[in-house]
Amino acid sequence: MAALQRELVDKRGWLTAEQHGLAYGLARVTPGTNILAYCAATGWMIAGWLGSLLAVSGVVVPSALLAIWMCSAYETYGAHLSFRAAMSGVVAAAVGMMASSGVSIIRARARGRWLLPGLLFVAASIAAMRLGLLSPLKILLLAGVLGAFYGDAPVDKVAT
Amino acid sequence: MNPLLIYLLLVKATLTSFSGMGSLPIVREEFVVQRHLITDRQLSTAVAVGRAGPGPHGLYMVAIGYFIAGIPGAAAGCAALMTPAFLIVPLLLYLGRYRENQHVRGAIRAITIAAGSLVLSAVVPLAQDAWAGPLPIAVSLLSFAALMFTKLDTFWIVAFGALAGIAPLWIG
Repeated sequence: MAALQRELVDKRGWLTAEQHGLAYGLARVTPGTNILAYCAATGWMIAGWLGSLLAVSGVVVPSALLAIWMCSAYETYGAHLSFRAAMSGVVAAAVGMMASSGVSIIRARARGRWLLPGLLFVAASIAAMRLGLLSPLKILLLAGVLGAFYGDAPVDKVAT
Repeated sequence: MNPLLIYLLLVKATLTSFSGMGSLPIVREEFVVQRHLITDRQLSTAVAVGRAGPGPHGLYMVAIGYFIAGIPGAAAGCAALMTPAFLIVPLLLYLGRYRENQHVRGAIRAITIAAGSLVLSAVVPLAQDAWAGPLPIAVSLLSFAALMFTKLDTFWIVAFGALAGIAPLWIG
């Protein structure tokens, strides 16, 4: 987002710093991938719905084509011994990536007044999931309700 | 499988997450546990594919769609990844003032923490599938450490995993 800010606000002047700040702040509370929401917002501010669609497509489509090509290669060469061996290493690396992703998500949010409640949420969520007490969707919804009651700290200023 | 159904199931996952990988637990629940459309191995492969190249973290959905239904499935995954982003436009128009509301922010923070926890929970069966010996365990631990403590690009971690996997064949 910092690179986009430099390009859109500082270099080209297509957005004001205030518009960037609004898009950045709202992207954090929009479901899905934050950077895509930011692109959708800035595209919409610059050129309406078409701009929004083009901005999000510009980020996703080229990468998606690359992903499709890699999946195709996986299917074509999947039976080859060397390829299978390489993929077993890649899959093991992916396990490490997913674990780090989970830890990073938690570490970024469970801090300050949310440290203890956050750790309780972590323990309760994992227990509920592992014991099969609730589906993931219900766990997330319940977390949302409890989080709304508990509330967050006063606003931390969005980047401008 | 109908690409529309793939799209709807993936959108359900993305609409309840606030980070790229936060959708993983629901995706696994729907596609691996409930419907048996993909295996844990394919899910892990999809994650690796999504992280191997440039682009947003949720790209693994494109790979999942491809594994289930080919190009139409990939298109469904792509659309599911993009769809929630456009919700920001009505937020801009009508709800911008609520973004600083403490209860809204609390709900989102709690959902995100729970999603991160569920990602960790979902990793357990994926690790059980991937860890066939000491080498994959070491690869997983090194990948984890590299991402947590360095700024190494994930492409190099995927490349390292591939080399580590193939090394025993070369060595003999």
